[in-house]
Amino acid sequence: MSSAFLGELIRTHSVIVCVGSGGVGKTTTAAAVGLEAARRGRRVLVLTIDPARRLANALGLPAFGNEVRRIALPDAAPGGELYACMLDTQATFDDLVRRLAPDEATRQAIFGNRIYRVVSDNFAGSQEYMATERLYDEHRSGAYDLIVLDTPPVKNALDFIEAPGRLARFVDRQIVRWFLTPYDEKRVFGRVLVGTSGVVFRLLGMIFGREFLVELSGFFQAFRELMDGFHERHAAVTRLFAHPDTAFVVVAAPSEPSVDVASFFHDELRARRLPFAGFVLNQVHRCHGEALAAAPLLLEPATALAGDLPPHTAASLLARLEAAHGRLRSVVLEERPFLERVASMAGPTQPVVEVPLLDSPIRDMGGLRELALRLFPGSSSPHGERREPPEGLS
Amino acid sequence: MSAHLSRLLGGRLLFVTGKGGTGKTTVALALARAAASQGRRVCLAEVDNHRPSLTEYYDFEPGFEPVPVGPGLAVTNITWFEALQEWLGRFVPVQRVVRLILGNRMVRMFLDVTPGSREVVIFARLMQLLERFDLVVVDMPASGHAVSFFRVFDRATTLFPAGPVRRTMDEALARIAHRDTHLVLCALPEEMVINETIETWAALREVAPALSVPIVVLNRSMPPVMSPHERALLERLAAQLGHGGSDAAGRPALDLVRAGHWEAEREAATAVAQQRLAAETELSLLAAPLMGSSGAGTRVRRMEALVLRSIARAGVARPGGRR
Repeated sequence: MSSAFLGELIRTHSVIVCVGSGGVGKTTTAAAVGLEAARRGRRVLVLTIDPARRLANALGLPAFGNEVRRIALPDAAPGGELYACMLDTQATFDDLVRRLAPDEATRQAIFGNRIYRVVSDNFAGSQEYMATERLYDEHRSGAYDLIVLDTPPVKNALDFIEAPGRLARFVDRQIVRWFLTPYDEKRVFGRVLVGTSGVVFRLLGMIFGREFLVELSGFFQAFRELMDGFHERHAAVTRLFAHPDTAFVVVAAPSEPSVDVASFFHDELRARRLPFAGFVLNQVHRCHGEALAAAPLLLEPATALAGDLPPHTAASLLARLEAAHGRLRSVVLEERPFLERVASMAGPTQPVVEVPLLDSPIRDMGGLRELALRLFPGSSSPHGERREPPEGLS
Repeated sequence: MSAHLSRLLGGRLLFVTGKGGTGKTTVALALARAAASQGRRVCLAEVDNHRPSLTEYYDFEPGFEPVPVGPGLAVTNITWFEALQEWLGRFVPVQRVVRLILGNRMVRMFLDVTPGSREVVIFARLMQLLERFDLVVVDMPASGHAVSFFRVFDRATTLFPAGPVRRTMDEALARIAHRDTHLVLCALPEEMVINETIETWAALREVAPALSVPIVVLNRSMPPVMSPHERALLERLAAQLGHGGSDAAGRPALDLVRAGHWEAEREAATAVAQQRLAAETELSLLAAPLMGSSGAGTRVRRMEALVLRSIARAGVARPGGRR
């Protein structure tokens, strides 16, 4: 596998997870990967968290919606279909509770609990958790050949990988039992608590307030019924992440914070034996050549073309172009160490695909197609002719 | 703008946030240094960052205790566990008991899942730093997490009708609403970033309506330098070269034209970003140019110089004295 590794991935894998810091084009990368896979004849679902509104429009999605939408794709190979879904954390959490709750009473008890309302849309990691939940459901439905997951931007790489575990602990048997025992029924504060447990409980009661502990106890009582379901699913999601048909793609841009996050993900994925597939390096500035003198190259054609424009326009434009070229070169130089860092992380065996900065921001399907051309270098269209990526201005 | 900046640097608590990669740490550090240069005792705090961004600027990893890094400036990383230990210590004066409580696995789980427990202890630590410093600048996590941080104080108070948690939350709410507390947003002239900036501004108005959010720093701005005539000529050149010019001899010429397009695109993006921020928010804008390639330290010094220049420009700079 080389820079063409994504072409191989979308043919052979069933789950692709895009991870990386915010602002590196993770959402557009996930969408373009999904688009290309569908063009090549696979049934693809792109699960995304928070795309820019224009991207949502380009994909035919309303700004908010938790349901899967089909995206029209006239040039897809036979069988190729593209679907997309923008996750709504609260709605996904509610769905999950609705399905796992054994009866209406449990359901109502949970939805009516004040702690649930705060936790489900505001808990650190609930977004990440719900993304993995949804991934698991859609994967199990068997409706798609490939699911591309665009993960929420996280400052700390561990959040994404650990969120399912942390939220599963939420309904951990032991913690539930621990909290239920002293607060069960009417014995709550009447009971004499002894040992560490007693001390700790009195202190927690003092610090957080008795009312909170009682509310929490109610929350755990209601959630007790859902525990088995949660634990089963957590185990299944963990298996899905580690499965060889799953691939993690680390997306980065050539800047210090982004490459730091990429490096952290790379280490974490390896330490957890999760299937890392390669790097996508987005937004790379390109500029050929050394410092250039504009006059010898462009004065003649510029003067000829200036025609009706005020005198000096050609000369002043040339000066600007020279300065702009100098600034672009310095940006390219600034990015070089980060490109090298990614290359050395990847080593000789792990692939990196470099994507030059596009001429303009992606705001429609055309932009996504242009990105796909660069993510899949030398890819062929469904009709067999070879496509070459156009050269960007970058 | 200069009045806003003077108010920020003369205030007590200053949050800095923005989408990932928008230069939050550079801006936070530059503002902290600018305030220190005006004679204030400043502490720059990161919030529970496993990989403190400040490590890029100093050759050590800031810990829980503030470390002086220059005249009037100290840096710290408010780690959650240490903050929690300290906060519990206020109610449980015996250290051994604090250790016993925190050593209990169930308590750790309890705190992990209790909404607001993280934010409360971090805010408690911020307020403690305010007793030791004139100004505390907080380099916050990316904007989505920052909104959650403030939302907790808005939403979770109903869960705690009484007790020390509730008292700390009330103190935090009062501090957030105080006229000496401000928040600065950072952005870049890119469509997705501007969308998120506008959304963050609106979300903050909703979850923390009393919080003063006067300024957005638009990093990597490109002021309009190309005249319409030059632009027109550039397009003509591009069209001509596009027809004949991808042979080897035409390549450098094409490169120059591409560089021109690259900057023209950034100029246009900057103009669009400024228009949208002006139309869709009430933020004042501080446009900061590309700070160049000579390393993190230079970027911060240039940003600091820009801040001080912007204050001086209107001649209302006040030496912000000690309390």
